[in-house]
Amino acid sequence: MKRKAFGRDFGLSSRMFLTMFLLGALYVVFFVVLVWYLQVGIALVVPLLAVFAFVQYYTSDKIALRASGAKVVTPDEAPELHAMVDRLCAMSDLPKPRVAIIPTDVPNAFATGRSPKHSAVAVTQGLWDRLEPREVEGVLAHELSHIGNRDVAVMTIAGFFAMLAAFLVRMGMFTSMMGGGRNRDSGGAPALLIIIAVSLITYVLSYVLILMISRYREYTADRGAALITGAPEYLMSALQKIASDMTRIPQRDLRELERMNAFFIIPTSVKRSAGELFMTHPPLEKRLARLADIAAEMGRPISA
Amino acid sequence: MGFGDVLFGRKRLKGAKLDKLFALSTAQITLETELGLKPSGAAGIVFKPLSAGEFVRAEQQIDELLGVVAQTSGSEVRRRQDSLGYQWLVVRDRDFEDLVTGVHVVASELAAHGFGEQLLAALFAFEGRDREGPTYLIYGFKRGAFWPFVPTGEGQERNNAEELRLRNELQGELPIEPDLTRWLGLFDAPLD
Repeated sequence: MKRKAFGRDFGLSSRMFLTMFLLGALYVVFFVVLVWYLQVGIALVVPLLAVFAFVQYYTSDKIALRASGAKVVTPDEAPELHAMVDRLCAMSDLPKPRVAIIPTDVPNAFATGRSPKHSAVAVTQGLWDRLEPREVEGVLAHELSHIGNRDVAVMTIAGFFAMLAAFLVRMGMFTSMMGGGRNRDSGGAPALLIIIAVSLITYVLSYVLILMISRYREYTADRGAALITGAPEYLMSALQKIASDMTRIPQRDLRELERMNAFFIIPTSVKRSAGELFMTHPPLEKRLARLADIAAEMGRPISA
Repeated sequence: MGFGDVLFGRKRLKGAKLDKLFALSTAQITLETELGLKPSGAAGIVFKPLSAGEFVRAEQQIDELLGVVAQTSGSEVRRRQDSLGYQWLVVRDRDFEDLVTGVHVVASELAAHGFGEQLLAALFAFEGRDREGPTYLIYGFKRGAFWPFVPTGEGQERNNAEELRLRNELQGELPIEPDLTRWLGLFDAPLD
């Protein structure tokens, strides 16, 4: 008796490839235009931003932990949580990340870190208190999948040129407001406008594409969690509980966490009107439907 | 995971490595004579059950298998569950070599039924000559290596000094997991 490989979703992989290809192509066009019109200036900007991005990437775990107010806990302080993470890591053959607890009642969790060896997983106190152990396990497995998939690295690379574009838009606006007197020849003014326009288009398009990739990575992490725990139904009920609690909690609490959205298992601001195109996470119904599909693949039908 | 797997978010669980398990039978003499570790006659295989239909069907086969193992090797095999939702197959045998063989048979049968990826570890219990409390050797199926595990009995504390001493003593005899962060502890193992 042979089991199918549940870890693969051909459709998802090909869509992810297409999105990444489009993003790459967009960046190439952007870069060519930049080099064309700004022979010297760009040589300064790119390394500068590369350093900035690298520092951000390198310190991502510390930044995220600090920004969320998470406290790293020892096995003595949270034995059950540690035991759970220990075993899930052994299951997925990952080194153990640091384990942190965020002292807030909003049930949520995130993972961060540039590589599996330099990673951290954090859960909120609310998640631990409100969810059943098997549900917490599903959420942790989802976060560990993010670590295994190196999603922080993927998103940093994906976001690099978007950052450059945004930077150039601001710089361009600034320079043109100051009169643009530093242009070397008479063709300078339209060139500046072209750069602003191209940067703006690049920024908007790459933003949409990056969010698309982010959503695909969520599906993948859900699939990974199903694989690691062998029980997609617990992640499903966890997602439902988290989502229903999210909408119930007053807005003030949520805003403190808003900048962390891309890393959380469910974003804190669930605005219907925002539209799927501008969300870091896929809508709950779609995630549940996918998980139900995986459960069916694994041999147990579950109604979503 | 390869580069392509990272790029496309494919996820695979590592299969079980079973072949290094038998190294424990040959290390038995060192364990007993030099380290004063006497096998307590019990070992456990811990795995993550799938909540899937295929697995439920396979469970019946596992139960049948346990009967067969018990008959042929004279080992006693029981099914247990722990507080973290993992399943244990506890093998008991006075003869250490039969115990290791029993564990290998059960693990390879699980793998043959397609559940090798669900296998986490095998835990072998020993009684120390100079120390109170049990000493364990854990075999990680994902890593294909052993590591010592000595709980102090107080919460989730481990006697790291003793564990490192055992590693140094056993290094030549057993394939020992070099990465200390992978030395998973299995507290409250339901071996009895």
